Amino acid sequence: MPYNNSLPANAQPRPFKKILIANRGEIALRIARACREMSIPFVTVYSDADRAAPHVLEAEESYRLGPAPATESYLRGDLLLEITQRAGADAIHPGYGFLSENAGFAEACEQAGIKFIGPPAAAMRALGPKTLARQAADAAGMPRTPGSTSGLASFEEAIEIAGEIGYPVMLKAAAGGGGKGMRAVTQREDLKSAFEAAQSEAERAFGSNEVYLEKLIERPRHIEIQVLADEHGRCVYLGERECSVQRRHQKVIEEAPSAVINAEVRSQMGEAAVRLAKSAGYTNAGTVEFLLDGDRFYFLEMNTRLQVEHPVTELVTGLDLVQLQIRIAQGEPLPIAQDEIRLRGHAIECRIYAEDPDNGFFPSPGKITRLLQPGGPGIREDSGIYEGWTVPMDYDPMLSKLIAYAPTRQEAIARMLRALDEYIICGIRTNLAFFRRILKHPDFQAGNIDTGYLDRLLAGTQLAPPQEPCEERKVLATIAAAVFESHRTTAAPQPAAQSTGGWKRAAREEGLYR
Amino acid sequence: MKLHIQIAGKTRSVDYKPGASTVTLDGEVLEVHALVLRPGILSLIVEGRAWRVVLDDGVDESAVHLAGERVAYNLDDPRSLKARRTHAGDADGPIHIKASMPGRVVRVLAQQGDAVEAHQGIIVIEAMKMQNELKSPRSGHLAELRVSPGDTVASGDVLAVIE
Repeated sequence: MPYNNSLPANAQPRPFKKILIANRGEIALRIARACREMSIPFVTVYSDADRAAPHVLEAEESYRLGPAPATESYLRGDLLLEITQRAGADAIHPGYGFLSENAGFAEACEQAGIKFIGPPAAAMRALGPKTLARQAADAAGMPRTPGSTSGLASFEEAIEIAGEIGYPVMLKAAAGGGGKGMRAVTQREDLKSAFEAAQSEAERAFGSNEVYLEKLIERPRHIEIQVLADEHGRCVYLGERECSVQRRHQKVIEEAPSAVINAEVRSQMGEAAVRLAKSAGYTNAGTVEFLLDGDRFYFLEMNTRLQVEHPVTELVTGLDLVQLQIRIAQGEPLPIAQDEIRLRGHAIECRIYAEDPDNGFFPSPGKITRLLQPGGPGIREDSGIYEGWTVPMDYDPMLSKLIAYAPTRQEAIARMLRALDEYIICGIRTNLAFFRRILKHPDFQAGNIDTGYLDRLLAGTQLAPPQEPCEERKVLATIAAAVFESHRTTAAPQPAAQSTGGWKRAAREEGLYR
Repeated sequence: MKLHIQIAGKTRSVDYKPGASTVTLDGEVLEVHALVLRPGILSLIVEGRAWRVVLDDGVDESAVHLAGERVAYNLDDPRSLKARRTHAGDADGPIHIKASMPGRVVRVLAQQGDAVEAHQGIIVIEAMKMQNELKSPRSGHLAELRVSPGDTVASGDVLAVIE
């Protein structure tokens, strides 16, 4: 279909005067970059914990929201609307997380005459709750896992449905996400306690105890389809992403394309995703998630926002998803038709977190004392940090996204390993070394992954524990440590560094080199 | 100057003077060229092999990064060794409940003076949307409670003492 159709007069694109970015971290910078490239002025907002955050430093206009807790800052829709109006902005980009999937906020924007860069509130309401999304999937003729399409009214209903579809089954919170309110049940005897646990966990996490039940697919792959829909009834899919490498239901590594999806399955999934989006009156960027079992796929849920892992799709399609989101929200027609979308090469993304894999993946906020970032061919880094910044303890631990792009999957893995070796973050612990171990694992290299792959590796002994450095490295590290230590002890005639804290030592060292 | 540096359980003696072209490692003399590029970043050439080494001064330990690997080290000085030994000896003595991560105290589950059971939760700390409940490793009584809700703690800080 040609894409430059003329539009009715009342639907002429209207460029934004200014965009408010209602987020923080790397995604706020990502959106700011798109605005700059499109010459659209933008405003950022910050909490007290983020006064020195990069999304404030990079902005030309920035306003304080409130205290550090998200409920008093980044989740305050009323304040965001007030600031948008005060700054003379006419659109809000919500990024991901925070208010991005909050239909009430999207509606408040609509009522205030401010464009929410995302789907309409009605589409979010129709597809957000997982039970409603399952009903929409049925209406759109999409395959989904057997089970209920509305909340379970009672434990008796759970028993009945589980009996019909057969064990193992999965209980899930309708309002769920991130693995909360989820329970796998392998036999009837365990259903009651799991049902109650899922209900109470859902109530606590989401304020709703609605739980539904579906057939558990064993060792599925997580495959998702990126869709883009304009406000003139056109919708395309941009191929798939595979996000099977997860730890406790949280994505860790994503890639595009999947190592196992062929053109036929891709177009089946893509067309199903487009049918779902169209049936709900969906616009802007969205992602339809599926579970893949062999070559059968089942609808899982729809994410009604831009996703963390969107860069891998950008690299293999050559499209800028954030710019397209803005153009769609301005009322422009999609500038590309389905048959013009080509996938080229392979992209892999690692989510770099401030966490310590050697200490139970505990968070590691704190000051970044030194930072050396990778570069060179095929490397993209969407980062939200800088040297000298103190990563606050108030928000999620994502520091940066490292993305490698190469002609083939194998070359992309090699490129990512090379970039990981160039990447050094000091002062806090990160999962950089953990990625090296996964990327070198034979099953990952063979594309032999499913959503339980990483948890099994961590539980078992297959993933080699962090190795002791080889003899040569130990010798070099000893010499290097001696060089560093002798420089600091000659600088200040104090007793050996052992007895002093890191802060004092750092201060002394700064004094030496200044 | 002579230093004793411990890596992966093994201590080596190293003699190096800033600016010198050799280093003596366990009695063996090696040719080195060390150039500190900026604080904590070192170009090190040892017998012709070149390395970039970055110093990682955490609050809890020191480490160097080289060739994609992070290697933790300890400066082994006799006084601290002794201190460590005396400390290790008192397994039946008071137990320190330490912060497992930097964070904020969100809840305190026992009061000073309370009797506590083994595995009983004492303090909950939170960071980056993750909560961690610190438990008493054995039964006893809560002799000291050093924090209250809202306090910010560093990794390794002693938050409570069980006797």
